[in-house]
Amino acid sequence: MESTLFSLAHGFAIAFQPDNLWYAFLGCLVGTLVGVLPGIGPLSGISILLPVTFGLDATQAVIMLAGIYYGSQYGGSTTSILMRIPGEASSVMTCIDGNAMAKKGRAGAALCIAAVGSWVAGTFGVIALTVVAPPLATIALKFGPPEYTALLILGLIFLAYMSSSSLVRTLLMACIGLMLGMIGIDNMTGHFRYSFNLTELGDGIGIVPVAVGLFGLGEILATPSHKVIGEVIAPKFRELWPSRKEWNQSFWPIGRGTLLGFIIGIIPGSAHIISSFLSYALERRVSKNPEEFGHGAVAGVAGPESANNSASTGAFVPMLALGIPTGPIPAVLMGALMVHGVSPGPQLVTDHPDVFWGFVASMYVGNLMLLALNLPLVGLFVTVLRIPYAYLYPLIIMFCIIGVYEVNHSIVDVWIMLIMGVLGYALRKFSFDPAPLVLGLVIAPIFEQSLRQSLIMSNGNYLIFFSRPISAGLLIVCIVLLAMSAMTFILKRKDWRDKLAEAEAGEAQQ
Amino acid sequence: MNLPSPEKRMILRADHVAGAAFILFGCAIIALSGNLPVGALSMPGAGFLPMIVAVLTIVFGLALVLRASAESPPFAELDWADGKHALQVTAITAAATALYEHLGFIVTMLLTIMALLTIVERRNAVRVAIYAILIVGGTYVSFVYGLKTPLPEFGF
Repeated sequence: MESTLFSLAHGFAIAFQPDNLWYAFLGCLVGTLVGVLPGIGPLSGISILLPVTFGLDATQAVIMLAGIYYGSQYGGSTTSILMRIPGEASSVMTCIDGNAMAKKGRAGAALCIAAVGSWVAGTFGVIALTVVAPPLATIALKFGPPEYTALLILGLIFLAYMSSSSLVRTLLMACIGLMLGMIGIDNMTGHFRYSFNLTELGDGIGIVPVAVGLFGLGEILATPSHKVIGEVIAPKFRELWPSRKEWNQSFWPIGRGTLLGFIIGIIPGSAHIISSFLSYALERRVSKNPEEFGHGAVAGVAGPESANNSASTGAFVPMLALGIPTGPIPAVLMGALMVHGVSPGPQLVTDHPDVFWGFVASMYVGNLMLLALNLPLVGLFVTVLRIPYAYLYPLIIMFCIIGVYEVNHSIVDVWIMLIMGVLGYALRKFSFDPAPLVLGLVIAPIFEQSLRQSLIMSNGNYLIFFSRPISAGLLIVCIVLLAMSAMTFILKRKDWRDKLAEAEAGEAQQ
Repeated sequence: MNLPSPEKRMILRADHVAGAAFILFGCAIIALSGNLPVGALSMPGAGFLPMIVAVLTIVFGLALVLRASAESPPFAELDWADGKHALQVTAITAAATALYEHLGFIVTMLLTIMALLTIVERRNAVRVAIYAILIVGGTYVSFVYGLKTPLPEFGF
């Protein structure tokens, strides 16, 4: 513990360097704008801005990109409360009671409770990350190829299980991602795979063109400007402070949301989305006045907003400690670190302490910045919300092209982005969630290498995965999850995932 | 000749089309993997995992087709109202991609933003021109002088 505190102090020394403070501030500001603007989620925001960080060192890059990630969780609530449009997916539940509060003239209070809840949750998440990640990394050093293979399979199955779309759809997307991840030179034998004589494909397909295409361009293609309409409720600055009763009503929901969010964040899946839904359901269940939910219940804002912020931080635990992305956003962040020559994983803490501890400490600072940024600047965000979407999306397309091109100065990457944009549009039409595709793409090289190494180690005996306790345990969890999914399908029973899908669909229609 | 009643006639559903596309994709991968060695379990080759993933894609595609009638809406009911917008934006972005390295950042992006706003959004041409010049100029200065990131210049 003493060494952790010493390392954290070292991290603060890095985080307080003027350059790093500036990039944390920039990340938080851009993240909040990304969250505020409907149609640009954190994933597309991070993907589009990823190339901008190439001129920075690894610590500055990850500080800025993580700022965009947790900043977008803060910003998403502003649009939900003021317009009843979720700025990004995890703010869907905040729309219901947040906007109802705004219609009652309590928009300022709702924004303040959401911001304070997010700050408490974010700070708790970082403290837990500080405590949990280093020992977990020490345990992970004992992992060999079979354990990594089992862990990655568990990650994919868990994502499929937690997803609100069906298991088959999620696994299909993951398969397509794995296929894309295998394009290029095979690291173990040197064979060219599916590169069609294009030298640019020798190194494989990059995560940036795929993520920007699927989430940035794909979203634009599916969103004609006439569909983006909404009336903005503009709160006055003096109305931002909640009443004593509202503070009391938000105290326990913030606590519960924070804890629940962090636990869910560690588990693979789109944690920040799921956590806000579960927190809302929990608050309604424990409330003495469940009939208030949907009509401006304070707990309906405080719980989900705390949960999605805590989950965003929790998702960094497996990414930093194990080198395993638990969702598409950590996957893109991992890609960003790898571009800078830093491999996330158990050795990150020892090999790159500046990056690890600088990043953790910057999150403490970033959470404070967001609290200071969100409330006083609410007027600015309201102004941004009034920019017509028709003028906004050409700008986003321009940034998509610049961003993707600048990674390798390759026009082939821009064509890949365009193809992925059309694919993303088609996938939306057929109700597929493209997120597992990105996850598959990122884990494909690690998964293939660890699987083949395991089989070589055991001379082709696949029982190696069951003869080692950790990998056997992980695979047993996979089997249990698959069995649970099969049970739900066979018994045709609605579980919480179906309810989540219904809630998302309901909000999308309104 | 007895035709099945309308209720019993098979309806083409969205998942039938999607599942078939995935099956075709899986088959295409297997066909393209012809020259890649699969190897043995004790020494897996470059074609080992692609083959497994392609087979899984076919199996999941088949599952999608089989479950289509229970889970998926009719293909004819899919909402393509945004199709025109998507097509126009795709065409303009494709043109921008083709021209980017030849016309350079400034000319390509000016034309792209103006095309998107005048052709797709039907906005006033003068306002659009002013907006495009301000945005493209601002972005160029920010990237080239602020972020020290060179952008493609004009030149065939």
